[in-house]
Amino acid sequence: MRRRKLETGPIAPGWTRLVLRFVVVFLVVTALLTGVWTFVVPGYTAAVTGLARPLFRWVESPNASVLEARGAEVWIYRIVGPGEIAPFTWFDRYTFFAVIPLLALLVATPGLGWSRRLARIGGSIGALLLVHAGYLVASVELSYAAIGLTPVGPFLARTLDLWQVGVRVLWEAAPVAIWILLTFGSWRRVLRRARDERRRESLSVEAIGANG
Amino acid sequence: MLDAWKRHLRNLRGRRIWLPAVAAACVAAFLIWIAGNDAVVGGFQRGLARITGGILNLLGHRTVVTGTTVSSEAFGITVVTACTGLFTTGLFLIAVIAFPTGWTSKLIGVGLGIGGIFLLNVVRLVSLYYIGVHLPGLLDPAHQLVWQSVLIVFAVALWLLWAGRWTRAPKEA
Repeated sequence: MRRRKLETGPIAPGWTRLVLRFVVVFLVVTALLTGVWTFVVPGYTAAVTGLARPLFRWVESPNASVLEARGAEVWIYRIVGPGEIAPFTWFDRYTFFAVIPLLALLVATPGLGWSRRLARIGGSIGALLLVHAGYLVASVELSYAAIGLTPVGPFLARTLDLWQVGVRVLWEAAPVAIWILLTFGSWRRVLRRARDERRRESLSVEAIGANG
Repeated sequence: MLDAWKRHLRNLRGRRIWLPAVAAACVAAFLIWIAGNDAVVGGFQRGLARITGGILNLLGHRTVVTGTTVSSEAFGITVVTACTGLFTTGLFLIAVIAFPTGWTSKLIGVGLGIGGIFLLNVVRLVSLYYIGVHLPGLLDPAHQLVWQSVLIVFAVALWLLWAGRWTRAPKEA
């Protein structure tokens, strides 16, 4: 059986430079996309709202919520009577901003060819759309439960706070989690290459030491 | 099929990846519990407010800290749960603990993450106060757009630096 030997220290001299390049590209892309975001956000908000509507119909029986995409905001109305709705809550224009850091993370990731990068960008936006639609549904339904508009079981009533925190954590973590899932292989390759480089360097230093 | 699963499980046991995974799951559960615990989060919010107020006073502002609010005649900020950096720190810690490396390296990562993100968060709160006083029109974008992105890239870059510099690379010998 082979034993694993461990070594410590910086894995490659170029690593810090690579991380710095990643940060700089991320910040530049974020700044550029933030400028574009104002024009794109109404379309993205409409897409999330369109995706969330069937989810609301699926979880509610009878249907109690009406959604309206109003520019960059999503307004939630509650059906209070036949043909009557009342505003319940709204999600501001920053709710879906995570699209920008996610795109910037994907553009800044080293070791990805452009075709792979574009495929991952498409996949990540699709995944984030689903997360955002789910976030709307979960946070509204939990709010209904918290103020007693929807009856819930004793377990859910006791743990409502934790569920709300969990939903919030998922919403916040979504861009980073999606990015990790989609670029894990690429980072592993970059790390392995850096470690190989370091091993080669240490071997050549040892060889010089032995010869000289 | 069963044999394949047994081989897979043996392989996982050999690599000892279950221990970091369980530890990371425990950290995640602990953090969700903390975030849902008003006493703990409230204490943390009040502490952050005091530190922010103290720094602002050192910089010449006459701020008063009341609970989780730092205010002066010019402007006021309230430290809410999302402002504590708890979620970012939590994700960082999970990523550190789940990474296959030695426990000393993990401890270094935990220290770096908690310290680094905490310091950046204090800088964020102080800067938001300044923006609120001098450029109130930019407060929302700075709060929601700029600092959110900066915190994400800071945590990711810190993790990458840790993974590259302070972790032990497994090597077949």
